[in-house]
Amino acid sequence: MIAIIFRLAWRNLWRNNRRTLIMLVTIAVGIWAMIFMTALMRGMVNKMVRDAVKVLPGHVQIHHPDYLDDPNIVNSIEEHPDGILLQVLNGPDIVAWSSRVRVAAIISSARESRSITLLGVDPATESEVSFVAGKIVQGSFLNDGDDDGIIVGRKLTETLETGLGKRIVIMSQDPDNEIVDRGFRITGVFDANTEALEEGYVFTGVTAAQNFLGIPGRVHEVAIVGRGFRQIDGMYQAVKNAAGPNFSVLPWTELNSYLGTMLGVMDGFVLVWFMVVFLALSFGLVNTLVMAIFERVREIGLMLALGVKPMIILAQIIVESVCLLFFGALTGNLVAWLTIRPLQDGIDLSSYAEGLEMFGYSTILYPEMTVEDVFTANVVVLSLGIIASLFPAIRASRYQPVEALIKV
Amino acid sequence: MLLNNITFRLAWRNLWRQPRRTLLTLGAMVFANIILVCMISLQFGMYGLMIDNTLSMLTGHLKVLALNYKDDGKIRQSIDEAETLARQLRNDLNRLKNKNFEGESAANNDTEGENNSVKIAVRGKAFALASSEDRSFGILVMGVEPEHEPQVSSIPGLIQRGRYLSDSKAEEIVIGSVLARNLQVDLDDEITLIGSGHDGSFAAAVITVVGITQSGMTDLDRSIAQMPLQLFQETFAMGNGAHEIVIRAPDLSDVEEISIRAQRLLDDRPSLVLHDWDDLEPGLKQSIQADLFSAWFMYGVLITLVAFSVLNTMLMSVLERTREFGIVMSLGLTPGRLGRLVILETAIMGVLGLAAGILIGTGLVAWAGIYGITFPGMDEMGKQFNLPARIYPDLTVFQLALGPSIVFAATLLSSLWPALRLHWLEPVQAMRAAG
Amino acid sequence: MSDIRCVNLCRTFHQGDITVTGLDHVSIDIKKGEFVCLVAPSGGGKTTLLNAIGGLDKPDSGEVWIAGKRIDNMGKSALAEMRLNNIGFVFQAYNLIPVLTARENIEFVMEVQGIPAADRHRRSAAILTEVGLEGLEDRRPAKMSGGQQQRVAVARAIVAKPEIVLADEPTANLDSSSAEQLMDLFVSLNKNHNTTFVIATHDQRVMEYARRIVKMLDGRIDQDIPQDPR
Repeated sequence: MIAIIFRLAWRNLWRNNRRTLIMLVTIAVGIWAMIFMTALMRGMVNKMVRDAVKVLPGHVQIHHPDYLDDPNIVNSIEEHPDGILLQVLNGPDIVAWSSRVRVAAIISSARESRSITLLGVDPATESEVSFVAGKIVQGSFLNDGDDDGIIVGRKLTETLETGLGKRIVIMSQDPDNEIVDRGFRITGVFDANTEALEEGYVFTGVTAAQNFLGIPGRVHEVAIVGRGFRQIDGMYQAVKNAAGPNFSVLPWTELNSYLGTMLGVMDGFVLVWFMVVFLALSFGLVNTLVMAIFERVREIGLMLALGVKPMIILAQIIVESVCLLFFGALTGNLVAWLTIRPLQDGIDLSSYAEGLEMFGYSTILYPEMTVEDVFTANVVVLSLGIIASLFPAIRASRYQPVEALIKV
Repeated sequence: MLLNNITFRLAWRNLWRQPRRTLLTLGAMVFANIILVCMISLQFGMYGLMIDNTLSMLTGHLKVLALNYKDDGKIRQSIDEAETLARQLRNDLNRLKNKNFEGESAANNDTEGENNSVKIAVRGKAFALASSEDRSFGILVMGVEPEHEPQVSSIPGLIQRGRYLSDSKAEEIVIGSVLARNLQVDLDDEITLIGSGHDGSFAAAVITVVGITQSGMTDLDRSIAQMPLQLFQETFAMGNGAHEIVIRAPDLSDVEEISIRAQRLLDDRPSLVLHDWDDLEPGLKQSIQADLFSAWFMYGVLITLVAFSVLNTMLMSVLERTREFGIVMSLGLTPGRLGRLVILETAIMGVLGLAAGILIGTGLVAWAGIYGITFPGMDEMGKQFNLPARIYPDLTVFQLALGPSIVFAATLLSSLWPALRLHWLEPVQAMRAAG
Repeated sequence: MSDIRCVNLCRTFHQGDITVTGLDHVSIDIKKGEFVCLVAPSGGGKTTLLNAIGGLDKPDSGEVWIAGKRIDNMGKSALAEMRLNNIGFVFQAYNLIPVLTARENIEFVMEVQGIPAADRHRRSAAILTEVGLEGLEDRRPAKMSGGQQQRVAVARAIVAKPEIVLADEPTANLDSSSAEQLMDLFVSLNKNHNTTFVIATHDQRVMEYARRIVKMLDGRIDQDIPQDPR
């Protein structure tokens, strides 16, 4: 019984092979567009999030409860967490964590000054959390927390007209709001994705920063990196519970609400895009089926007259539609894979660099074809395709045999 | 094209021989057209807002800067006698501009004269450490002309509490709300500015907060600090120098012409460079281009799918009429004429789709124009791109017709194959084909 | 016991404003193994009666009994089941499913009935021989003559061993010799399997084979006469 349904559906499909081929191409184009576009968008947004997370915040941050509202030197926390918090931080869900001094400051060379964020970091832990250690283009990264050398961005060395080995002055505020300033020597220059980063952040050893600012043993944030930027809920809750009410613990989605929202908007957009493509496709699909049924009303009448149950007629048309959808989707998936594969090494978009920077995108785009998206695209097309073909199929199964037989 | 009555009637009736098929094909067209109309007008509405809001913040349409100041932003790269130059520009550009408009309605010129003139303001910029009683932050402080600044920038209009700067010499400062919170200062509190002057000397001033601005954009609200230009010049030893002369044209479309005129006035000062907004905010145009690019990819897919749908329909309709075509061809009708009939049928369908798409699309856009469009995440996105949380799409004939016209063209294109096939048709064979 | 029993069947059709009487209080009994011709000018009601007997169409009033079961009030599925198991149809034209070969067309009903493949093949092979179509098993309908197509249709109608075969103008599109062959086939099946045949026709050649001729006029039975077949 199933065999005859499939045989009929399959042969009927190829009765008009031009129409079937056009429909297959349409479905394939639709699926390809779904997967391809989504891979590009995912690549962009994921890269953006990964970069942003790598640049500074990590996945989760711990602060003094008042720090985010009032990022002042006095709103500091213990450099070395202890007790349960330390256990959680060293637990299996957390890849790396780093304590940082973070204050606003003014950096001056002999000719220029700029306002910057000064970060006092422990190079051993910091290099696993943020990008800077790996992006040193001149000199070297800090040796240890006591290192009082200073690491600046390349763009900043240009605006300050200074360079590796030169001295600069950093001016900030101590806990009593007295101005403190001190000369530092530039021991490293780093490169970053954006000029804003190169101009905005300056690094020195955590102990050196504490001594300079007069806050021994204190830091302003602990940045934590987990297993992946999408799977942070468990880790975030664990840290939050361990830290207790005396700390503010926030995930990156809240620290950078733009990025967090973008990720959500992205997920929504992918679904909307799938739906739009599917709808554009469904008109053709339903049309093809309606035509295919219209052409063989007589046959359907004959089968009904011979005693075939309406359900079998319905099943046969659905199987026909499923065959179309399946082979169209198969081709679409294959073409998507073939077109995305050569792009795996990245698409150079540097001609749009500044525009992309405004979105927070990187200039090299790595498409990401995820199993979830491919799965969703196929499920959307197949399941909704079947639902759409129910409408002509049900009509066909409701024919009265006599009327159908008379129809020319 | 043969548009006499009988051909048209024939085409029309042929279309409705299979009403369900025609309606489904039309449905695909209308669906695509509605999406295109809505998306394109939303996009252009957004772009317009993005450009306008970004430029009216601080950038203006044109800026006169010292050579290399745009890239380096050093305090020494200043414009000497900036206010004098600004006055010159103001006079010359407006005189020339008015002359240019003389041919047009004089009354219009009188009533809107104020709006139609080119606005110009001078600014100085310096980095300084701003300290309140118990907080210090490094900021970029701006010296502005209180009488001209409100004409070129929307910042003075964002005063949430207090007032804007009153006088060019007053010891006053206006700061953003986030900065005020971080410095823990309020109206009438004093702020100490410490930095280096034009000549590298130590610069310091104590000034009173008279106004606090709020834009809702955290970055902007953290960075705004404006003081009167003359006080700025004294504090930072600028003499009569400043860093930028901002020019704001009455409309984006006037920028090019004003730029040419302004450049003429700057010819004798080679140390100065005139930058236009694209130069100053390269990210703006590029982000629009990048967005357009991805949008057109999506539209392309949509249009392709519709074209396939039409192709399938027309091919079917030609195939099932093979016998009929054979008969009329044996009566002496040329394949070319039959081909035109097929194209005409498609064209009728296309026009119907176009009309319905534009009509419904316009309705939706007009509705959105009244109530605005917002979507989850719009708030955060808006802050990133200087957009409000609600967008009122733009309605111009171009934007309305653009998408549907392309769909129409693609529709006609896809009927070419079925139409051209008729040339290979042999009447005798065709008549024998199963109807 | 009669194989087919119709009691007071009425059926009218509405086409726009026009009302056409299909059946007007028709009652008829047909016994097992009979060979009946329904004869009427077009519009006389013979197809309507045939459809009512086959459960393809429902009468407005009256009763239809097939093999002791009342069918005029059955549901769609039950009717389909009944047709599948009890009745074989042969229509005037377009009798076959174009995408299936001769053998597949014959096996179609059995396949839907769920008869195992080996059994199906044995029976279809036998029936193909019986109707004289050896060698044409794997042809599709488009590659066969009208007579051959009708023979495939007959083979399909009888392969499931129905008690009744209903044929509507089976010879309308056939030349004389094909028509004769087809009728000979009907007669031999009627004799060999005791299958009841009800044939609607206005073809003189067909009537000569019948043992009972029912003449209809304007939806009523006009004459019901037994005759000696040729």
